[in-house]
Amino acid sequence: MRILIIEDEPELAKSIADYLLGENYLCEFAASFEEAFEKVTTYEYNCILLDLMLPGGDGMKILEELKKQNKQDGVIIISAKNALDDKIKGLHLGADDYLAKPFHLSELAARIYSVIRRRQFANANIIQQNELKIDLLAKTLLIHNTPVLLTKKEFDLLLFFMGNRNRVISKNALAEHLSGDLADMLDNHDFVYAHIKNLKKKLTEAGCDNYLKTVYGTGYKWENE
Amino acid sequence: MAQVINGKMNKLLNTPLKAFTLYALLVLAGSIPAYYYIVNRIWLSEIDLHNKFVKRKIETEFSKIVINDTILIQSLSLWNRIEPGIDLRPLAKPVQKSDSLYTVMRANNLHSRHSNRFRGLSSYLIINGKPYHLTVETNVEEADEIISDIAFVTFGFFILLVIGFIVLNQRISAKLWKPFYKTLHQIKAFDLSSQRSIAFEKTTILEFEELNGSLQRLIEKNISSYQEQKEFTENASHELQTPLAIIQSKLDLLLQNEALTGKESEIIEAAHKALARTSRINKNLLLLAKIENQQFVDTEPINLSQLMNDSLDFLSEHIEAKNITIEKQIEQGVFIEGNRILLEILINNLLLNAIRHNVENGKIGVEFSKHRFIVSNTGHNHSLNTANLFKRFSTSSAETPSSGLGLAIVKQICNRYHWQIHYSFDQQLHCFFVAF
Repeated sequence: MRILIIEDEPELAKSIADYLLGENYLCEFAASFEEAFEKVTTYEYNCILLDLMLPGGDGMKILEELKKQNKQDGVIIISAKNALDDKIKGLHLGADDYLAKPFHLSELAARIYSVIRRRQFANANIIQQNELKIDLLAKTLLIHNTPVLLTKKEFDLLLFFMGNRNRVISKNALAEHLSGDLADMLDNHDFVYAHIKNLKKKLTEAGCDNYLKTVYGTGYKWENE
Repeated sequence: MAQVINGKMNKLLNTPLKAFTLYALLVLAGSIPAYYYIVNRIWLSEIDLHNKFVKRKIETEFSKIVINDTILIQSLSLWNRIEPGIDLRPLAKPVQKSDSLYTVMRANNLHSRHSNRFRGLSSYLIINGKPYHLTVETNVEEADEIISDIAFVTFGFFILLVIGFIVLNQRISAKLWKPFYKTLHQIKAFDLSSQRSIAFEKTTILEFEELNGSLQRLIEKNISSYQEQKEFTENASHELQTPLAIIQSKLDLLLQNEALTGKESEIIEAAHKALARTSRINKNLLLLAKIENQQFVDTEPINLSQLMNDSLDFLSEHIEAKNITIEKQIEQGVFIEGNRILLEILINNLLLNAIRHNVENGKIGVEFSKHRFIVSNTGHNHSLNTANLFKRFSTSSAETPSSGLGLAIVKQICNRYHWQIHYSFDQQLHCFFVAF
């Protein structure tokens, strides 16, 4: 999978690339408007991470260009502005998602995963991992071909782990993923623990291997060698 | 508070009115003795003239007639009896004294006991070569009668003056101070956050024109510094987002290190928490700046009842986690014109507040009607400091991970739509009222 990171902050671009490394992703960088424009018009990417405020131009222009050329690259806008207008405009111009800075890398990875899945397996979008079978369209989970009933949040969590396999995900990141901006105001993130516990229980009861590990003091990890 | 002040305050124009009235009273009161003195003096001098005239007439008449001494004395004693005002008595030997004037109190006549004031002239005459003593006395009005008459008239004039003052004052107040009250009204209606300056009306009065000019400059300066401050907040928050994103990403990466010890993980976790708090404060400051900068302008009719129910649903797991009971009294179909995002934030912040500061097995009450809603919750058994409650960072402390901006944002949203919000602590419940 080819990913283009259009970001003028080299340290942030590097972190993103480091996090995605090893997950079958090939990352390229563009740090200015010209460089980005050239790359997106020349090559094709599975996913483009687009910062809107770029030296040399407005990131929106890149989106417009992609649309004009009818390119099928997935695009996630990563912006410091978090302005509703930008979000609406960006999505209208064909971006798949909008993520406001600062974000957790795990959140970004989950969104990249989801964008790529959507773009590539639009019709038969099924994630298979050993005994697990997730149908993204029907939002169902089968273990050993037996349906397992998950709540919306549990299903959401499972997908989040799928996008962050073999990564340690902090509790904070999960809390923010589950409750969005509201996580800001909640003083304890025990609800994350409750959802994880339930998910784990359901998986185990259905005869699933224990992939979901608790990492001491920090968070959780979905292990899948 | 305002009412208490109003009770003690005087209107500007009433202050000189009081002073004028008091001054008029003093002057008029002072005029009473002055009038008395003048009237009395004129009166006495007139009477003295009259008495002298009587004396001269007696002198002249006596010098013309020739009369026997014995008959004269007999006639005189009879005359003196009938007419006590003029008294002429023979003297044993001549007295060399000039005429003298005097005032005396005595009964008017022999039959009356009521004493009156008399002005007298005492003179020594020679009639038929014999010395005589003549006194001419004329009744004068008593001093107290004069004074009371003058006082009565003066008081009448005083009343006229006061009525005149009040009427004139009202006329002047209505006309002369009109531009002033207009300016005052405009300033009262002024709202800094609306960013609209005031256009004062031209007046022909120099002082008011100067006042308006100074106010205009002051307001414009205020608006521009307020604008700068808001822009600064927005820009600063924006600028902070990228470095925060870098730190966040580095911590996320560090977490991936397989060789992390438990202790190191804890350090990262602590750093994560602090960073989350920083991001949250930054995000909320940005939100506040945006609300103040008149963003979120789109409005639509919003079903508040629906919004409240959705919010409660969304938060249900957090409510259940603390085993909190919800007491809902939601009137259905309450619509209000507003921005959806802002209203969601308003309701979520109030509900989250009620959850966060609640106790285990506590209660949250949500009451909802056409013109107001109330969110109440159990919690600490003492009232919160209402003076600082809605101020930025006033509730923030090391123990609570709150950004200290939740209620400031609520307040700001209420301000935007001119809704009233207030807090009370009643029957062990912390209540937030929003009236719209």
